[in-house]
Amino acid sequence: MKNRYAENHENRLMKYLDERIRLRALLGFLLEEPMPGGARWAYVFGSMVLFTLVLQFVTGVMLAFYYGGTPDHAWDSVNYIDHLKNGNLDVGRLIRGFHYWGASIMVVLVGVHLLQVFLWGAYKRPREIMWLVGVILLALTMTAAFTGYLLPWDERAYWGTIVGTNMIGLVPVVGPLLKSAIRGGTGLGALTLSHFFAIHTMMLPSLFILFVVFHLVIFRRVGPAGPFRGTSATLEAQKEYFYPRQVLMDALAMLAVFVLIAGLAVMFPPGLEAMANPSNSSYSPTPAWYFDWIFELLKMIRPEILGVIGLPAVIGLVLVLLPFVDKRSERSPFRRPVSVLTTLVVLGGILGLSIAAEAGFKKLVPLNPASVQRGKIVFEHSGCMGCHTVMGKGGHIGPDLSEEGLIGHSEHWLEVQFTDSSAHFPGSPMPPFTFLTPEQRRDLAQYVSSLGRTGWPDTTH
Amino acid sequence: MRQEVVFRMGIPVQNASGHPVGTLEKLVFLETEKKISEIVVRDLSGLKRVPLQWVRELTEHVLVLDHPGNLDDLPVFDISQFEEVPIWFYPPDCRIEVGSLLTLKPCDERLLGESEAMSRRDFMAKSTALVATLIGISLVIPIGGYVLAAARTKLSDHWVTLPVKLEQLPMDEPVSHTFNAVSVSGWMRVPVVRTVWLIRHSGAEDPFSSSEDQILGLDSPLEKSRSNPYLTVLSPICPHLGCSPQWFSGKKLFICPCHHSIYEMNGKRIGGPAPRPMDQLPVLVGKDGSISILYEEFQVGIPQKIRLS
Repeated sequence: MKNRYAENHENRLMKYLDERIRLRALLGFLLEEPMPGGARWAYVFGSMVLFTLVLQFVTGVMLAFYYGGTPDHAWDSVNYIDHLKNGNLDVGRLIRGFHYWGASIMVVLVGVHLLQVFLWGAYKRPREIMWLVGVILLALTMTAAFTGYLLPWDERAYWGTIVGTNMIGLVPVVGPLLKSAIRGGTGLGALTLSHFFAIHTMMLPSLFILFVVFHLVIFRRVGPAGPFRGTSATLEAQKEYFYPRQVLMDALAMLAVFVLIAGLAVMFPPGLEAMANPSNSSYSPTPAWYFDWIFELLKMIRPEILGVIGLPAVIGLVLVLLPFVDKRSERSPFRRPVSVLTTLVVLGGILGLSIAAEAGFKKLVPLNPASVQRGKIVFEHSGCMGCHTVMGKGGHIGPDLSEEGLIGHSEHWLEVQFTDSSAHFPGSPMPPFTFLTPEQRRDLAQYVSSLGRTGWPDTTH
Repeated sequence: MRQEVVFRMGIPVQNASGHPVGTLEKLVFLETEKKISEIVVRDLSGLKRVPLQWVRELTEHVLVLDHPGNLDDLPVFDISQFEEVPIWFYPPDCRIEVGSLLTLKPCDERLLGESEAMSRRDFMAKSTALVATLIGISLVIPIGGYVLAAARTKLSDHWVTLPVKLEQLPMDEPVSHTFNAVSVSGWMRVPVVRTVWLIRHSGAEDPFSSSEDQILGLDSPLEKSRSNPYLTVLSPICPHLGCSPQWFSGKKLFICPCHHSIYEMNGKRIGGPAPRPMDQLPVLVGKDGSISILYEEFQVGIPQKIRLS
């Protein structure tokens, strides 16, 4: 009985809306997409990318609620977001984690989607324009990743963007002008942050919406490519509509992405390094992981300009020209060995370069919060502050240690430093702190390694 | 450009020898290929499916088949296995005039029978709705908490020690004291200049030593515990609509210039539209006569003294 009522109810609502906005026809248009060969798990990647994009929109708007886009407030506002709590829930860190990991996962999924379309040969006639729009969306994704990197205005963001914009400056003829236009001057400062904020939160979302709609409209005009095997008669016989089986598959895939992003956000919340310090000469910037392979490749290519201009130009050109050069109608990856093997070699190369780059980065000491906390007490009670400054407090005889943890000394190096400074710096005036127990030295090393990386003051109340 | 093919429904269909065999009724469409694959011809025995390859000639007035005889051997067209294609699926290079384009029905409904297919569809629709609800709820909870987190943040108390000592103040004569303070707004700390009224009394026996707020019991526990018989601190904000009452020493009254609310020295309202006395602020007087105050603001326009936080 209940069921019947519900159905009746729905029908009445449906009838009302159908009469006014012709809802049935609209839903039919949206859901009754014929899929040759039926629904498949291989087709979920596009929907997964769309889902991460929507998630980025939602969490991005949320971050903008509390963000202050000027160099004197950006870091404070991100630190404020990191400390926002509601009851026992770290809501601020969670929302920031969603956005941070959502970006990484979106880059991965865009790559997987592109690879799937390539392997299935789905870019071939008549889907060339859809592929081109997809290449534009890839460029937008990478631009969003690059511009979002600067916004927290910490050391990592600042120095990463210095390098990234310097690379743009290497472009012949227009490079210096382009770099200055993006930075809003010769140096990286207030205008750079406003520029990046405007690009990241206003320009890119509008372009994303425009090109995603374009991508989907073309998709509805040409229809899905379907499997690369099978005659047209069998594909017609196995035909299914987008709704309901593919919709359910897509929804489950989206749920999996959501669980993955949420899990990463909870288990590995994004960090915040010390506020951008243009006078810090010892910082060694590292790119976001998805640019690692370019970073590593640039070390090998000489002159640099060849890598900076040549590499993106070649990638862009190959992607843009692919459907117009590869005009054979053969879609099966097993009958296109040259292009498929080339792609796999390139992918293997990217993976290898990324691993090599990660291995080459200075490893920061992994932190144990309890030990850091104990080390802080040791630091405050053993006379360290007589000579060293941390976050504006302390003496000026020794070096300022506010960002010591970002330098990347090992724990062993630090423990030696506490007891025998002249081993590292001959003639160092630092007294040997031999009265510290081994336990205390370990905790102190942990605390010093955390400086500039964590432990920011809670400013939410 | 290829010539556009026009299918006009109802035109006579002739066989290879020129004899009429029926009329053109419908077209069958391979939806996944976006191609017309068969035509449906009505002859004397009913509707027949004819492959498109058999069509030799098509004009606006007649359709001629390659086939020499009649259509008796061809399969009968069963409408229940087909469904009409929406107009946006029509193939780009042909025009169908006054007729319908049909396509084979999808396999699940074809193979399983109507009711089972419907219940599967229903199950999938409900599962999709469940997944969407799951994601929605798990997103809305942190987002709701996030948006409300700042709204619910309790204002922490910032006591300010004023650069003036109790004995420097005149007796029974309100002084407008201006001091520097820090206003906290989210992640921003803004230096501000604030003003309070300081009123020194000779002691508990002074008739004005208890503020009207204390007498009427409008104070919060904090304000009650932090009051002093030698000093009353009044907010400069008129509880009517937020103007600044001024002290008239000749009349010994506070008068608000905006709407003429009138108060006595302890904040008691004796005239005008204000709904409550002037607001007393918490104060701590040290042994050395140092004065520490906690600057608070209250909702204006209501009889209750409710702190804004």
